[in-house]
Amino acid sequence: MHPAILWSTVFTALLLQAFLPLKLPLARLFDFPLLVTIYFALVKRDKIVAIGLGTGMGLVQDALSNGFIGVFGMAKALTAYLAASASFKFELDEILARIALTAILVPVHGLFLFALQRGLLEVPPPFQPFDLLSSALVNVGLGLILFHLLDRFRRPA
Amino acid sequence: MFNLNSPEFLGADRPPERETPERVQAFVSRHRAFFILLAVLVAQLLLLSVQITRNRKARLIQVWAVAVFDPFARTLRASYDATTGAWRSYRDLSGAQQQNRELNLQLVAAHSQIQQLSQQAAEAHRLRDLLEFRNHLPFQAVAAEVIASSPGETSKAIFIDKGMDAGLTSDLAVMTPAGVVGKIIAVFPHTAQVILITDASSGVACTLEKNRVQGILKGGSLNLCQIHYVMNEATVSVGEMVLTSGLDQIYPKGLPVGSVAEIAEGNIYKTIKVQPAAALDRLETVLVVLKPPSSELQALNSPSHP
Repeated sequence: MHPAILWSTVFTALLLQAFLPLKLPLARLFDFPLLVTIYFALVKRDKIVAIGLGTGMGLVQDALSNGFIGVFGMAKALTAYLAASASFKFELDEILARIALTAILVPVHGLFLFALQRGLLEVPPPFQPFDLLSSALVNVGLGLILFHLLDRFRRPA
Repeated sequence: MFNLNSPEFLGADRPPERETPERVQAFVSRHRAFFILLAVLVAQLLLLSVQITRNRKARLIQVWAVAVFDPFARTLRASYDATTGAWRSYRDLSGAQQQNRELNLQLVAAHSQIQQLSQQAAEAHRLRDLLEFRNHLPFQAVAAEVIASSPGETSKAIFIDKGMDAGLTSDLAVMTPAGVVGKIIAVFPHTAQVILITDASSGVACTLEKNRVQGILKGGSLNLCQIHYVMNEATVSVGEMVLTSGLDQIYPKGLPVGSVAEIAEGNIYKTIKVQPAAALDRLETVLVVLKPPSSELQALNSPSHP
């Protein structure tokens, strides 16, 4: 995949993540940066690159949010590493594999965020399992669409 | 699902067994991505700890740093306190022992001083009583300290610290507020010897208080005196006071000599044992009765004089 596609995808994901929730309430469950991180971790099949991409994506997301810098950075770094690790062990070009991976990694990402907030913040937000589940379902569907779109720009191996 | 072409399944050549540092290096190289992930996570954790504040704006990284070093600092402080405390205890104990010794010495000295002061106070009290007694005497008297007793069991005499320099002469009566002690038998420039009434060679003209029976008191045995020349018919009772009669021209009339201790009938005369009134075995200060002019002496010894 051309690097310009990668960076423009990253930029667009962050832009949508910042803009869409203002117009669409359901968009608060979307996590475009996470989906993009998972996709490129699967495609690149390089753990180090995936870690870098996830960390960068997360830090930018932190910078654009009102929270502390590093929360999303850590969560997306971990998610990227897991996705890249899974890409070594499993063949994830299949739709079912991607659905399964996304369905696993989105809650893992959410739980990791919750654990971080619980451990670091004096007044952590309450645990909302329904939101977690909802986010998993929504992002699985969104991921299928996004992954299919991005696959068009992949160069044949 | 499984990618059979992945390097993980192809079985990369495993390096042969190496030394430990090289094995560690090989392990790190093999899991490089994992360690990079750890490094990235730690770096972001530190970044978060700088931003997050706890407890009045203290940064989380400060809280963590304090939490890490606090136990060591407390342990070090406790060790230091224990060591200095032990040393201080040892030093204090040594100091306490030394102080204890010094205090013991001071205590002994203080006890000795207290005893001396008590004796001085008792002596002062005694002298005051003697002074008061002397002031009430109808005759002049000189106070004297007993400085020695005569060595020898048969002679019962004492030495006093007044002699010719105080105007003493022989045959002067010596007494205490309690009673008659004896008389001076020898005078020296600064000393005089007094024979006690318990000495066998002494003699005191005496009279019994109740019946006014007269006799001569001489020294006897066991620190008792004996009245001689009292007829058997005379009425004498145990405990009756014996006073000087003044007939010997030595002892003024009416001075207490002692009390009747025993009475026994003799052939003609009674055997009357008398317990001296004065504590002759504990004499310290005595009064020497100065001889008044003969006219005064006669007046003192007259029958009309009590």
